[in-house]
Amino acid sequence: MQALLSSRVGSQLAGSGVLFAVLVLGGLAYASGGAPARDILVTQMLINAIMVIGLQIYIGNTGVLSFGHMGFAAISGYAFALLATTVERKARIVPDVPLGLDSVSLNPLAAAATAVVVTVVVGLVVGLGLARSGAKSGAVAATVITLALLFMVHEVGGAYADLTGGRNGISFSVGRGLDSRLWIYVALIAAIVVARLFKSSRIGRLAQAAREDDLAARAMGISPARGQMVALVLSVAVVSVAASLRVFQLGTVAPSTFFFDYTLLTLVMLIVGGRNSIAGSVLGVALMTVVDETTRHLADVEIDGGPAEALDIVLRPGLTDIVLGGSMLGFMIFRARGLIEDWEIDHWLRRRFGRAEAVPEPLRAAPTPEEAQLSVVDITVDFGGFRALEKAGLEASNLEVVGLIGPNGAGKTTLLNVVTGLVEATGGSATLTEQSAGGPEACPIAGAQPFEVARAGLARTFQNLRLFPALTVRENVNIAALVASRHRPGGDRPSVEQLLVHAGLWEMRDRRARELDYGNARRLELVRAAALSPVYILLDEPTSGMSNVESVDMIDEVRALAAAVGAGVVVIDHDLAFITGVCDRIYCLDQGRVIAAGTPEEIHADPQVQAAYLGAAAAGPAG
Amino acid sequence: MIDLVQSLIDGLGRGSIYALLALGIAVIFGVMHMVNFAHGELITVSAYVAFAVGVTAGWGWWAAVPLVFCAAVGTSVAIEFIAFRWVRGSSDFTMLLTSFAVHFLVQAIFVMTMGASVRSFPRPEWADRVWSVGDLNIQVIDVAVIGATAATLAVTVYLLQRTMFGISLRAAAEDFDAARLMGVRSNKVIRRAFILAGALAGIAAIFFLMRTGQARPTTGLSPLLKGILAAIIGGLGNMRGAVYGGLLLGVSEVLLRSWLPEDLVGITDGVVFALIALFFIFRPQGLVYVRSAERV
Amino acid sequence: MLEVSGLTTRYGAISALRRVSLSVGANEVVGLIGPNGAGKTTMLNTVAGLLRPAQGEVVLDGRPVTGYSPDRMLRSGLALVPEHRRLFAQMTVVENLRIGGVTVSADERAERLDEMVELFPVLKDKWATAAGYLSGGEAQQLAIARALMSSPRIVLMDEPSLGLAPVLVDFVFDLIGRLRTEGRTMLVVEQNATRLLDVADRAYVLRTGEIAAQGRASDLLAREDLFDTFVGVSDRPDSSALPQA
Repeated sequence: MQALLSSRVGSQLAGSGVLFAVLVLGGLAYASGGAPARDILVTQMLINAIMVIGLQIYIGNTGVLSFGHMGFAAISGYAFALLATTVERKARIVPDVPLGLDSVSLNPLAAAATAVVVTVVVGLVVGLGLARSGAKSGAVAATVITLALLFMVHEVGGAYADLTGGRNGISFSVGRGLDSRLWIYVALIAAIVVARLFKSSRIGRLAQAAREDDLAARAMGISPARGQMVALVLSVAVVSVAASLRVFQLGTVAPSTFFFDYTLLTLVMLIVGGRNSIAGSVLGVALMTVVDETTRHLADVEIDGGPAEALDIVLRPGLTDIVLGGSMLGFMIFRARGLIEDWEIDHWLRRRFGRAEAVPEPLRAAPTPEEAQLSVVDITVDFGGFRALEKAGLEASNLEVVGLIGPNGAGKTTLLNVVTGLVEATGGSATLTEQSAGGPEACPIAGAQPFEVARAGLARTFQNLRLFPALTVRENVNIAALVASRHRPGGDRPSVEQLLVHAGLWEMRDRRARELDYGNARRLELVRAAALSPVYILLDEPTSGMSNVESVDMIDEVRALAAAVGAGVVVIDHDLAFITGVCDRIYCLDQGRVIAAGTPEEIHADPQVQAAYLGAAAAGPAG
Repeated sequence: MIDLVQSLIDGLGRGSIYALLALGIAVIFGVMHMVNFAHGELITVSAYVAFAVGVTAGWGWWAAVPLVFCAAVGTSVAIEFIAFRWVRGSSDFTMLLTSFAVHFLVQAIFVMTMGASVRSFPRPEWADRVWSVGDLNIQVIDVAVIGATAATLAVTVYLLQRTMFGISLRAAAEDFDAARLMGVRSNKVIRRAFILAGALAGIAAIFFLMRTGQARPTTGLSPLLKGILAAIIGGLGNMRGAVYGGLLLGVSEVLLRSWLPEDLVGITDGVVFALIALFFIFRPQGLVYVRSAERV
Repeated sequence: MLEVSGLTTRYGAISALRRVSLSVGANEVVGLIGPNGAGKTTMLNTVAGLLRPAQGEVVLDGRPVTGYSPDRMLRSGLALVPEHRRLFAQMTVVENLRIGGVTVSADERAERLDEMVELFPVLKDKWATAAGYLSGGEAQQLAIARALMSSPRIVLMDEPSLGLAPVLVDFVFDLIGRLRTEGRTMLVVEQNATRLLDVADRAYVLRTGEIAAQGRASDLLAREDLFDTFVGVSDRPDSSALPQA
């Protein structure tokens, strides 16, 4: 038992089971001994739970707000209805149905399965579109594409009566097959398990990283499109199963079955509970079902005269929508992350029953790596008439620490951005040459996508800190290790745990990155870059905002970390005490050109460097 | 050729209303970075005001005109004050859902107080009149809409280009903090943006309601959607783009209606949505796009 | 005119400014210099109201204005020319100027416009050009002119020479000198320390969020030991401790 609960997947399965049991038993307890209406309510709640978990898989993991999932649900619902309805009935309701559907009648299970396949195919097409439009967390274009889908399906549902039965839709009775709640239970537990496993799967976690910070994720070797695609397909599959069940349970499908009202209901359930948590989604479903039912109950109460008459106005139909809309508004204003942010039952199970974690071995320096060479040659960058870099370049071996200094606006960060693929150079080249078994291997990196550069072995940090704020400290580093394990194969690298201990972050490994103080956040970004097991770590102002004492400490940290993962370092900084202490060689940039290169001593003595900092007056006839 | 001209006139008539709504959505997006899903509710409120004026009070349609306009402006300001003020500067996700929630709340309030049924109110009798010029059949209301929209846009352009209000608004849309450094008050400029958006929606509502003559809780949904799509086609936040987007949407709807095969005419809107989705896939930044550098 | 005392500003848990005090007298040009990351921009942004101070007081003309919003600060007579200028790139030159005078009456605005044309003749030729198409020097003039439109009693400038070609840097410092002879009150942040000290009356040296030195510009310029601070260079890590003024 303990072994099960301390293993990752085991505890997740157990947690999913607990979640399922709590929801189902709670529902059954409410339904037992009550009116049949209660039974129907519980059935609806369970179906809604499947639907909301389907939404969670996409919205939660990618952070893209989709209004279109009810469009997918509608496609599935119609497909199911058309396939499952008897031939005779179809001849009456939709006599001119195209595609030869008039002669098809499947059993409900086969109809539902076919509906899932059809919907997933549509989902794939839409997903390709979303990927093409560069959907990212909070991007409006992605939301609009999904909205257009919802309305398109709704329009077709209402107007293409030959296929859909028009405004009245298709009502049917399927006889037998799906008539017990068994299939709902099966679908629900499957949905919970799929969602839970996906959330902790490699692809799911990479998608969450992209959700938290798209740019940082790309600079770490993550291509966001793939995670979104997988999330969408899984999500659409779950949603379409739920849609078939809903249509089956209602006995009818019409344009209004899956439209704005149902979108609102399911979104509120998702948001209230916490969109990043499966437990939260289920909690939201249960909670909103209770609230919904209570208001409905209130609205049905007969009031005969007396003081209660004043209440009449609030008890009319529409109250439910007010409660739903109000809940959404309230949560957006006061608690946008929902009741549970991203907690799952298995977190608790593992802590309660699992084994305590041992503090890992301290970090040892890696054996001297094969030599590699980063050559950046003649890079020129124009920003609409403004020349940010003019034939700038640098050479760095992975056995040294190279510094990049220069006054504000000299082009240091731009150079780093060119090397990491975030800015396109007008001219010049950048090449990473690694020694491999078959001799030196040159890999051109200028012009590559950021995630390709990261996979080639260049890890970077950002001037203004780009952590994944909602993820834990350990998960931040884990994400990098995940990318490394796939794209940076090779020898034994330090474990994530060792790196955390090394950076002094072990004690706070389960805290969210956004809760860290500044110094630790900087350290975390550094460790995260190191966990990519890069050939080079590129640091953009690692000491900015640090006090003198802290930045002196940073010298040792950077050097020790580079040694531990066997990586070279290219570092931009303004703190010359730090740069002088940490670097073997320094390049000085001014006005987009390299004006000096050499050891720290040479740089300090260089008249051009002094001129660049002190201004033309002190420079004399230097240029 | 005649067909094409006919379609153009019909399309501009439709598109004008979309353009006015889209412009309002763009103005609000400019200052708040929020896609306002509650914008259509201005039309819903206006519709019930028109119903109250025309049926309950029994006045003529001309009396509804100023009141509908005021209702749209008042509602716009009220919604900002009650809801949007509190989520200023939040994530896009939060703001989208906030306006979505307001959309539903307004709708639900009308379901509760007025019921879900359709309420009809009198329309001006000239609204259905048709002028025949040669082979062209021109609806009077189309001419009125196009004229009024042109005038409204002219006034709006004047406001935006020449008055301090317009300059502040554009400055705030471009760089909110820099505008504050110039002395522009955030509350004031946002409130005024909502007044302008409400006024534009008010003009749109007047003609939209003259055409339909109906009020129900979901009245605003369809125009809202077209307005949002038009604003986004034009490149969100781009005011000129929003107007082009609206007109383009109107004209392409009418053209599609005349080009589509008989049995697909019913789903013209569906086809339009599909085309829009396709458009975004290939040009997610919209028609008119102003490049801004991403700070790393 | 401007008295700042004990100002502390935090970004999350870290203090970007620690109990910084400085003052600017009427008709005085005061420089604020120091290495990058010392907190110069934070200082100006806090004083101008873009950032909220955790502690400390800002007093303008004897009136406490701590924690005012930027627009209220401007109405109190303090204008900021922000880092990177932040012009409204899609708006024309004249529109940029007019927005600078949004707080004054229409008549006064017209007067100021004439004044700016006189002060910066080059802007007249570009009257209807979008600010995004101006050259670096023109853009900097516009940014300064825009700030002067509200007739502020004190102007804060953040790195006016940033990103300009050397010949334009000369021009900007000439401009600051010119404004000084006009009797304008200014607090200027510059990385180009020696150039700024040439045109300033007094200066403060900021280092890691604290005032490390202060004095008359000419005195500071003569102090060899501050060379490090201007450049941010030091031979050894432990030499970063600065003499306290």
